[in-house]
Amino acid sequence: MVSLGMQNLRTKFHIHLLGDHAIVFKINTGLQEGIDHDLLALSKFIATREIVGMKDLIPAYETLTLIYDIVSFDSNPYLFAHKLLDAFIESTSIQSTPNAPSKLIEVPVCYDPIFGIDLQSALENSKCNLETLIQLHTEKIYTVYCLGFMPGFAYMGDVHKAIQLPRHAAPRNKVPAGSVGIAGKQTGIYPMNAPGGWQLIGRTPYKIFDANSATLTLFKTGDQVKFVPISIEKFHQLNAYNDVH
Amino acid sequence: MSIKIIKKGLSDRIVDMGRYGYQDLGIQPSGPMDFLSAQLTNLIIDNNPGHPVIELHFPAGIFEFDATMYICVSGANFVPVINDKSIANNRPIKVGPKDQLRFLQPIKGRTAYLAFKGTVAAENKWLNSYSSFQTTLQNEKIIDIVPAPMNPIEFNDKKADLIQRVQSSLFNEHTIRFIPGPAWNDLDANSIQELLEQPFSIDPKSNRMGFLLNGPKLQLSTPKQYLSAAVTKGTLQLLPNGHIIVLMADHQTIGGYANLGQIILVDLPRFAQFNHQCHFKLSLTNVQTAHQLYRSTQSWFNH
Repeated sequence: MVSLGMQNLRTKFHIHLLGDHAIVFKINTGLQEGIDHDLLALSKFIATREIVGMKDLIPAYETLTLIYDIVSFDSNPYLFAHKLLDAFIESTSIQSTPNAPSKLIEVPVCYDPIFGIDLQSALENSKCNLETLIQLHTEKIYTVYCLGFMPGFAYMGDVHKAIQLPRHAAPRNKVPAGSVGIAGKQTGIYPMNAPGGWQLIGRTPYKIFDANSATLTLFKTGDQVKFVPISIEKFHQLNAYNDVH
Repeated sequence: MSIKIIKKGLSDRIVDMGRYGYQDLGIQPSGPMDFLSAQLTNLIIDNNPGHPVIELHFPAGIFEFDATMYICVSGANFVPVINDKSIANNRPIKVGPKDQLRFLQPIKGRTAYLAFKGTVAAENKWLNSYSSFQTTLQNEKIIDIVPAPMNPIEFNDKKADLIQRVQSSLFNEHTIRFIPGPAWNDLDANSIQELLEQPFSIDPKSNRMGFLLNGPKLQLSTPKQYLSAAVTKGTLQLLPNGHIIVLMADHQTIGGYANLGQIILVDLPRFAQFNHQCHFKLSLTNVQTAHQLYRSTQSWFNH
């Protein structure tokens, strides 16, 4: 995929301020399926610049939000954002790099009813059998649109229409870490034991969030993810959790 | 040197100015509800304003000290006592071994801060911040403190002036000011009018993640779905039931509800101190004003 030309890039982003300590770059072309590569490129460009007062940079779906510290950030935020976008456009025109290929992460999932406690109702809802549900859930390569809800929780999509399931009206008090769920068009994995309302169809033996690891989370926004079905025996072999024996 | 939790409070925790730089991974910044009081209580005992402190909600815990050290309590007035003897808020207090600090009743405000001289042991630090990550102080917990030099702490006019400024900035009945957000224009005209004219109060179900507002029921001109985007401290989200939730210190990093606006940073400490009986109004302001006011309050701490 090739980036848009300079003029197109300039009109592609809309800049607005969020309160008194955040700047938002929003793509106004509407989000197609898959993350927008220009937005990710802008995010990488900003991340590598040493911006005094920048506290956070958060890409999510069609927006990139820069959180700043009011005291150490002495420019007019709106003008600053425009200059930053200009510099980005300038850099893409000098060095027209093809989009860096997204990272593809394969995640093993055991679709045993022991873990997929909503499988029964999911099958009734989607009117398909277990094999079809597993096939539909694993054949697609998903995009991580953003991380949020809790540390490391990746919102991935889009789930095949046939197996899109509504959230539970009342969330469960405790969903075990590693549980794989569906909510509407999105699929995701609980990084830690937490309350949650997604419909659970399986569990991965992988750690999704580790407070003590250098990378902290398995996923980053923009990653590509493919689920690989595994047996319960394989789950036990790979198991990184201590609540499963 | 250490502080021991004899009896845990409702949700006492260690906080500093927050954990930034990881929101893209879904890791929330946390930090204090009322950063102004957290800064003030530190300054009174000659700490750096961003030094870790203990945040207290009522009922707050009972704390025991194992050595002579300086402490200070600021923010809400929960009637602090040491061994049943009353102590003042906003004053350096020298405590000794076996002294117990407890809090009798909430008289003013919602959140108090306990500062102490010395550095919290590194085991409490994660990703460059001491701000608790979903953990509160439990019974028997011992907070190890690396002692600081026992220099006498002076209480001078400069500190008295600072306390006066912070107190009058925290406890007054002015409106809470906000800057309109991306979904502001999606509100119907009547809702905009109601929001700017009717009083609000804070629902008792509120917590550190967000304050639920009781007030006029609001609606969008036409129902609309929003793609999730980053939110901040002070974001006014319109819930599907027509009520507003204001995101506070433990907010999630992204949100998918209508973003009506954000309360300006300078008004957040005051808002965080409102109890359930407070009625208040919301009013509009702009970025320039917000920056000017915030820089001005922060300059109090710099000289």
